[in-house]
Amino acid sequence: MPENEIEICHLTKSFESIRVLDDISLTVHKGDIYGILGLSGAGKSTLVRCINGLEKFDEGKIFFKGELLCSPEKKIERNKRNKISMIFQSFNLLQQKTVLKNVMLALSINGQKDKSLCQRLAMESLKKVGLEEKANSYPSQLSGGQQQRVAIARALVLSPEVILCDEATSALDPETTKSILQLLKKLNQELGLTIIMISHQMNVIEEICNKVAIINSAKIIEQGELSDVFLNPRNEISRSLIYSNHLSTVLEEHRLIRILFDGNIDQPLISNIVQDCQIMVSIVYADTKVSDNRMYGQTIIKRPKDEKEVVKLKKYLAIKGVRFEEVEK
Amino acid sequence: MSAAEIWKITYETIFMTVISTILAYLVGLPLGVVLSATSKNGIHPNRYLNSILGVIVNFLRSVPCLILTVILLPLNRLLVGKGSGVWYAMILPLFFSSFAYVARIVEQSLSNVDNGEIEAIRSLGASDWQLITKVIIPESRSSLIMGVSLTLVNVIGYTSFAYNIGAGGLISKIWSFYSTHTSDFLTQAVFWLMIVLVVVIVQLIQESGLLLAKKLDKRKKLK
Repeated sequence: MPENEIEICHLTKSFESIRVLDDISLTVHKGDIYGILGLSGAGKSTLVRCINGLEKFDEGKIFFKGELLCSPEKKIERNKRNKISMIFQSFNLLQQKTVLKNVMLALSINGQKDKSLCQRLAMESLKKVGLEEKANSYPSQLSGGQQQRVAIARALVLSPEVILCDEATSALDPETTKSILQLLKKLNQELGLTIIMISHQMNVIEEICNKVAIINSAKIIEQGELSDVFLNPRNEISRSLIYSNHLSTVLEEHRLIRILFDGNIDQPLISNIVQDCQIMVSIVYADTKVSDNRMYGQTIIKRPKDEKEVVKLKKYLAIKGVRFEEVEK
Repeated sequence: MSAAEIWKITYETIFMTVISTILAYLVGLPLGVVLSATSKNGIHPNRYLNSILGVIVNFLRSVPCLILTVILLPLNRLLVGKGSGVWYAMILPLFFSSFAYVARIVEQSLSNVDNGEIEAIRSLGASDWQLITKVIIPESRSSLIMGVSLTLVNVIGYTSFAYNIGAGGLISKIWSFYSTHTSDFLTQAVFWLMIVLVVVIVQLIQESGLLLAKKLDKRKKLK
């Protein structure tokens, strides 16, 4: 059983009379990259801000490594807060300080008076994000992706165990987003960092997370292993988040069959269907990726018009041990 | 008027302005910090403290400097030995009429610091004091410097009231020159010389403030 890193129990918070977090419970294990997915205004940012004490809450408890981290009565302690760093959508670097000074500030705020030690640690941290040659630049001279790397270096310099990412890639272009996500993944693997990742973008969560919780109107509506939730969303809202918009138009006109790839299939399934069953298959949506030589994801095909063909197809899929379901509007 | 006399009144203006501005910042800067920190969007909101200080500051700002030069006479005598007739008698009235202004100018500068930056440093565990000294003040340094030159120019304007207590300085000399030469002051070269001196001083303060502020500002330059 992996160690519980962050445990949120029955957390509830209201702004005046509006409930922004409603009985939220979730457990993040050590080494997880935990995605929290939801539309803007769903409460996910508030949730992550509760974890490091930027926001107070009305009820519930948050535990860190089995010990009480904070509750409405207990303020977060500084030495524990240091173990939970955060990066932001707008990077939030101090504009009037160099990159190096920005990273060093994290140390001096936590009482590190030895300047040369601060400098050395800051440089080490910048090296981890591949920006040591920019140490004497100012944030305004860097691109968005570089600024976020500096923010990550600033978060890393305190040797945290958890990094909270609040829409950390939402202000970046797709290429840069990918490189930042790869960096986070690398840090997760090499340093054993636990990462909690807030995003409204499914593809960001999908790229690196192993677990996901979906928040909608202040509540967690679904949570679990990424593959479980994404391949088999049980909730209407989760579905719409996961498929975003590209399916809705297709769904208007057709009845569909969704085929799930959960890593068990190592043959060209679609062409086999065509050959073996003599059924013409038209694919309307496919989202698969290969990891560890196994294919994960889903393909949605049009349901054949002929009912006999449907029966044949379903039988074939059952024999092959493929998970599938009919999708209706 | 001799050259030595013109230098003397120029120095008087500069001394009374600079010294009272320094004193005004000694009080106004902390006051401005507290005003900005306790405001609704500040790092430590406190409605009561903020409104009490706000009322005091507004009250002080609405008392004309002319009145201050008069009502502070007794206090001036007590503190500097003389209530009038010397340039340093002007320091106290100038200080009183500008520190509230300084507090507002400082408050304004500090409130422009990006909330996200403050929050990021708070998330690293910074205390309110650390946020003020390590984030808010350093980040608004350019704006604070502009505030200093604004205040200096403002205080130079106030030095005209030195005329009322015979405390000297350029501007009160210009005024007394005007009142004694009402019919021909425009034809007097020395009158224009004094005007030019005031303009040059103001220009120097404004431009050097701007230059320094720009040099220190590492944000993206707005076109």
